[in-house]
Amino acid sequence: MTDYDLIVVGGVAAGTKAAAKARRQKRGWKIAVITQESDVSYAGCGLPYYLGGVIPARGSLIVKTPEKLKTANDLDIMVRHRVLSIDRAAHTVLVKSLDSGEEFTMTYGKLFLATGAQPILPPIPGADNPCVRALRTVADADAILERVVRVKKGKAVVVGGGFIGIEVAENLSMRGWEVTIVEMLPQILPPFDAEVALYVQRNLEKKWINVLTDAKVTAIEGRGEGATVKTSRGDIEANLVLMSIGVKPSSELAKAAGLELGARGAIRVDRSGKTSDPDVYASGDCATTFGLLTKAEVWAPMGSTANKQARATALALTGAQGSFPGVLGTMAVRAFDVSAAKTGLCEREAREAGLDIVAVTVPADDRAHYFPGSLKIAIKLVAERKTGRLLGAQVYGLGVVDKPIDALVAGITMGATANDLANADFAYAPPFSTAINPVNLACNVLLNKMEGKMEGVDCIAARKMITGEGWDGLILDTREVPEFTIGSLPGAINIPNAEIPARLGEIERFRDKDVLTVCNFGRGAYEGYLRLKNLGFSRVKVLEGGTRFWPYELV
Amino acid sequence: MALRASLEGAKMAVKEIDARGMQCPGPIVEVYKAMNASQPGDEVRVQVTDRGFIEDIKVWCRKTGNELVSLEEKDNLIRAVIRKKG
Repeated sequence: MTDYDLIVVGGVAAGTKAAAKARRQKRGWKIAVITQESDVSYAGCGLPYYLGGVIPARGSLIVKTPEKLKTANDLDIMVRHRVLSIDRAAHTVLVKSLDSGEEFTMTYGKLFLATGAQPILPPIPGADNPCVRALRTVADADAILERVVRVKKGKAVVVGGGFIGIEVAENLSMRGWEVTIVEMLPQILPPFDAEVALYVQRNLEKKWINVLTDAKVTAIEGRGEGATVKTSRGDIEANLVLMSIGVKPSSELAKAAGLELGARGAIRVDRSGKTSDPDVYASGDCATTFGLLTKAEVWAPMGSTANKQARATALALTGAQGSFPGVLGTMAVRAFDVSAAKTGLCEREAREAGLDIVAVTVPADDRAHYFPGSLKIAIKLVAERKTGRLLGAQVYGLGVVDKPIDALVAGITMGATANDLANADFAYAPPFSTAINPVNLACNVLLNKMEGKMEGVDCIAARKMITGEGWDGLILDTREVPEFTIGSLPGAINIPNAEIPARLGEIERFRDKDVLTVCNFGRGAYEGYLRLKNLGFSRVKVLEGGTRFWPYELV
Repeated sequence: MALRASLEGAKMAVKEIDARGMQCPGPIVEVYKAMNASQPGDEVRVQVTDRGFIEDIKVWCRKTGNELVSLEEKDNLIRAVIRKKG
């Protein structure tokens, strides 16, 4: 039996981060990392790109091999060893070697649990079919890649339209596979507002990926290289079925040891990473954390969170000051040439929480419009109505989304209002940004909306309005004739802004009816809105996001 | 072949538009104005940097019946040739 000052269970993100940080804090400690996998310290989030060949070398996914981790940080690395149980009173763990079958105990001073999360595999008949796979570990990726290379240009069904599902769909598609995403909910990307998800969905469809929403997988039939995926929206043939409906915390070991569990069954920890046992700590996908806005306990399994939380926890368990305050729930995903990022609350989440909010969607250029490579993005902001305090943001489109979202993350973390960021001194030169940075711009429009200078509707509400029963309003496209020709909302009439005074007679009867002004991005529609308001039209609204971010048919 | 090309060339006018750096409503409006001032069979050649133009010009030509002779994108520069319908 060996005595250790620190035993770390789990060797991917949180485990290796905590072990390395603890070593830097405590040169003299004896530290062991125990993992049931063959690999340690690998880039789990990079696995979809390994399938697509974007990351060609398997070795580049491995941040550190067991040998390197051992020598670089003076750690005892025990791969292919499983911790069977924890005896908290005796401060021991019972360990089994997966190769020799031998069982033995090890003694700890502090125990750090980084057991991660595991894919949820729905109890569907036929889920044990060899075509059915989940993607979590390097070993999972190896098995999927073997099939992908062997079958070549096959058919894949991706069950679950979250991040992993979309990333795998993109990567298989780039390998020439025909991919169908099957999502049980009415939208893909469940953490996002519906119009953002729909925008990404339309782009996936443009890249020949089939997307079925509101579709439930009921069974998987067939054997060998092929399977039939039975869904509530029809049968789909597949050579590979990726299960990516979500993950759950791997907290069984902690639960069996009598440690308290919290949100979503994850191991409950405080801000120092301490569990209900003062000598047992946990971080990463197996552990809880806190919502920075709500202050409530949450479970937010992200590679970024795991590393930061583990670092803070390693400081705390070695007796230094260490505290991980929590998360906003920031995330980003790319689907071919479109990206989407989110932080804080989306509009739906804020409304479900009963908050009194204002939300606005503002398209922008990611850099000076005349600079080659300039692309469009849309920023959706959610703010508290009374104070203008920002509660969340989503940024999506063809252009750079991570910069604006990170500026907003910094602002929201520090409690910024729209007013604080409306004139923030962001970096500007034409290759990088616009003179009024997209975040400045979005905050300005939000303030206009809060102050009643602009009324707008998002595309989903707008569509509901204009297709609703008894719609007797006007859709006024304020662009120049050729732009209108390219495509506008069904039923729209075209009067360019400058012609409104001369052609007032054509729209006179809508003076007290609903009027929706429309242009490419919203600026011209706002101009039209102001003109009509000035002329005494009483119920005018701007289509937020314009035709460019309209996820439905244009005619 | 050369004779035919030179005969056609004699009839056909070509307008060049430099719409680089222009955006909404820029490039498509410039094409529209140039086409209005052209005769059937005339060509308008346009250079654009706004990527939205790629989809725009395809749809506009389809809807107006003008011919999109060529459309290419290289190094963030889009070049299109449109022939006015006869």
